Amino acid sequence: MAKCKSCVVLPFLIGLVASIVLGWWGFPKVLYSQKTQPIRFDHVVHVDDQGIACEDCHAFRDDGSFTGLPTNENCVGCHEDVQGEDPDEARYVTEYVEKEKEVAWLVYQKQPDNVYFSHIAHKDKFECTECHLDVATMSTPPVFYENRLSGYSKDTMKMWQCEECHAKNGASNACFVCHK
Amino acid sequence: MGLDRRSFISLVAGGVVGSLCTPVIWKTLDDVSIWSQNWPWIPRLNYGEEKKLATLCKLGGDAYGIKVKTVAGNPVTAEGNPDHPLSLGGICPLGAASVQMLYSPARIKNPKIKDGNNFKDISWDDAEALLAEKLKEAGAATAMISGDETGSTAEILSGLVGKLGSQKSFFMPAESAPAAAAVQMLGGDGQVGYDLENAGYVLLLGADALGSWANVARNAKAFAASRDKAVRYVYVGPAQNGTTAVADAWIPCAAGTEPLLALGLAHIIASGRTSYAPGFADFERYVQAYQPETVAAATGVPAERIMNLAKELINAGRPLVLTASESGHGLGAYEAAAGMCLNMLLGQMNAPGGVRILPWAPKVVESAAEKKDLLANDLVAYLTAVADGQEDAPKVLLVHSANPAYALPNLNKVQSALDKAEFLVSFSTFMDETAVMADLILPDSYALERLDDSYSPYGAPQAIYTVAAPVTKPIYDTRAAGDVLLSVAAKADAELGFESFEAVISAKAEALEAEIDSLMEGTPWVSEEFPTQDLAFWSSPLKEIAVPAGAEKSVSLSVVTHLKIGSAAIATPPFGTNAIRFDEMKGKEMYVQLNAATASSLGVKKDDRIKLANAAGECVALVKIFEGVMSGTVVASLGFGHTAWDDFSRGKGDNIYKLLQAEAEPGTGVSRFGSAQVTISKA
Repeated sequence: MAKCKSCVVLPFLIGLVASIVLGWWGFPKVLYSQKTQPIRFDHVVHVDDQGIACEDCHAFRDDGSFTGLPTNENCVGCHEDVQGEDPDEARYVTEYVEKEKEVAWLVYQKQPDNVYFSHIAHKDKFECTECHLDVATMSTPPVFYENRLSGYSKDTMKMWQCEECHAKNGASNACFVCHK
Repeated sequence: MGLDRRSFISLVAGGVVGSLCTPVIWKTLDDVSIWSQNWPWIPRLNYGEEKKLATLCKLGGDAYGIKVKTVAGNPVTAEGNPDHPLSLGGICPLGAASVQMLYSPARIKNPKIKDGNNFKDISWDDAEALLAEKLKEAGAATAMISGDETGSTAEILSGLVGKLGSQKSFFMPAESAPAAAAVQMLGGDGQVGYDLENAGYVLLLGADALGSWANVARNAKAFAASRDKAVRYVYVGPAQNGTTAVADAWIPCAAGTEPLLALGLAHIIASGRTSYAPGFADFERYVQAYQPETVAAATGVPAERIMNLAKELINAGRPLVLTASESGHGLGAYEAAAGMCLNMLLGQMNAPGGVRILPWAPKVVESAAEKKDLLANDLVAYLTAVADGQEDAPKVLLVHSANPAYALPNLNKVQSALDKAEFLVSFSTFMDETAVMADLILPDSYALERLDDSYSPYGAPQAIYTVAAPVTKPIYDTRAAGDVLLSVAAKADAELGFESFEAVISAKAEALEAEIDSLMEGTPWVSEEFPTQDLAFWSSPLKEIAVPAGAEKSVSLSVVTHLKIGSAAIATPPFGTNAIRFDEMKGKEMYVQLNAATASSLGVKKDDRIKLANAAGECVALVKIFEGVMSGTVVASLGFGHTAWDDFSRGKGDNIYKLLQAEAEPGTGVSRFGSAQVTISKA
């Protein structure tokens, strides 16, 4: 009888542990593909060496909307010609600036089109890094984990996270607050 | 230890239970639901800076300022421009569709040359070289047609034709030509405008001011402001329309007889009045022929109503009379002068709240014709003469911003004349009926893609010069016609003195003493100066305006324009198709309007399929019974019956231009075609 018990319990435990390990460790590796940015943008060079403030590139417009990532229009002020010997720098100038083509940056926190996120409504209460990766200290942008099914970034905030934060901070959770 | 059946089931069960404690199932379900919302064909938003850029709308008969909202540099929507005096925040149905037309399936994407019954692509260099060669060969046998009276591109075209030794420069017919001719008859010289904003009483003789006449957006703003000032708007015409829906009164008047009513009113107002205005005595004698009873018989307006209307005009402060053809073109010069004389009698010529005579736009291309001469050139008469063999067909015919193969009277003859042109060149942005006939198409960039300008369109109350910088880059391989023409002129050894269209605009701004930088930023130049005019009543011999005579059993055709359906230059935009009501179009057939009594007398009833016919041609339509139409009148809208363009407009309804037959106005020779007589029978 004891033998029979072990025949049932042991495989059950093995299956249980194995699926938990695979589910928490293996599944994310299968679900997310790893991508790198089209150009290795070095924040450290810009922030520390050149003394450029975050707001110089990630600014609010006069109407309160957030510029997000800078476009070539911002960058050509310094990068009309190749600066230094970084191959990514040369590639940026030849493949994007000279061809008047915008870089298709991978956005770690990209939200769906049906969500309107107002940066200006959040900027006084939160530090950028509470939601965004702290890229200002990185010479190489972090790996972009793209969900193979949904196409969104692993770091894209889910609706429950928005709702939780709104609830904790006394902000409205009415649909139209985010879905315009 | 072997794995027996029980152990295996236990292992699987453990795996299943374990998986429930992991994100595998829950996350997969969530992601699949998101995946199902992200099909590749679902459009994605393009994020970026939002701007509102000032530009021009020239899609209707008017040219006025609008603003186009862009996101990340892409035009998204259009709205009125509160800072432009001809918009004041208002926008017309075609202006509202202007961004949509940027992506119209009818856009011509690159230069094309006729290859049998089709077209084949040609490079810009080859196309320009070919046209230059043809122009050199044609010389003085070159002619041009433009549908844009206000822009400098027409001046460049006229300059090129003039440089080649030809005087054959024409505008498409519009209200501006007869109005300018009327002012000339009174001894004036200038472009005609109307100070609606300061008028104390507005009599609209056929002018659908709130629907399609002149500066529609600005007219609506002036009307709205007039409500607080108790300004009375009275519409006179054969049928109710968008203007009568809100005007203070509608006076039914037989189609095309509004100028007779103007003379009848002039008779009553002039009688017993002493005036030292030059020519008044002759004029007073002339209008004796237009007794109220005579006018009542011709127009259908009761004599008593005419008397009351005259009293209202006499007693009103700053009355303004606007005379027009209901369709927006085809008025005779004498007919326009009849209304102009009425304004003069009321002391409202070149006065605040009245008719304004503006200085002509400065001409900067030396070889171009003066605008007043261009307006005087009669396109319909010319093309008819070419078709009849009375004029030589042009060796090269340049057509810009116009669709003569669709939007002219005597349509069969016009098409025949276009066919006779040895080398027809279209600068159309869209594959319209004229482009289809062309031997060479050099597609003009769309309005939002090119630099453009406009000097006071007809009706504007003051001299206004507007420059519109491009809102976006051309999305296809198109070029601005002004630049192409300058380049071709140089290649044809007919240099016009300018290297670019921008240089022409700069010269024009300089001539007006306007700041080019300010103009390029979208701020219009406005002048309140009005040259002194030495006016007299009818300085040319007086001519009797005849009462239109119809054939037996015929009805008067009242031709109207609805901007949602399109204009002479543009077919129905996709936006417009949503606004066409079920009683304006059924399937692919259009409705015409008759009242019940007229329908009964003709033996037709609601929804009957009928044929409208006269000597010019015939059209097919369905019957709509509408009691807002005078007896003996059928109302039909222009804008249907396209044979080219795109699926939104092609093959829908019939082209009423087929029923319009131009006749030369006695004395002036101006082609009149505002209304027509038709017979109606079941189709």
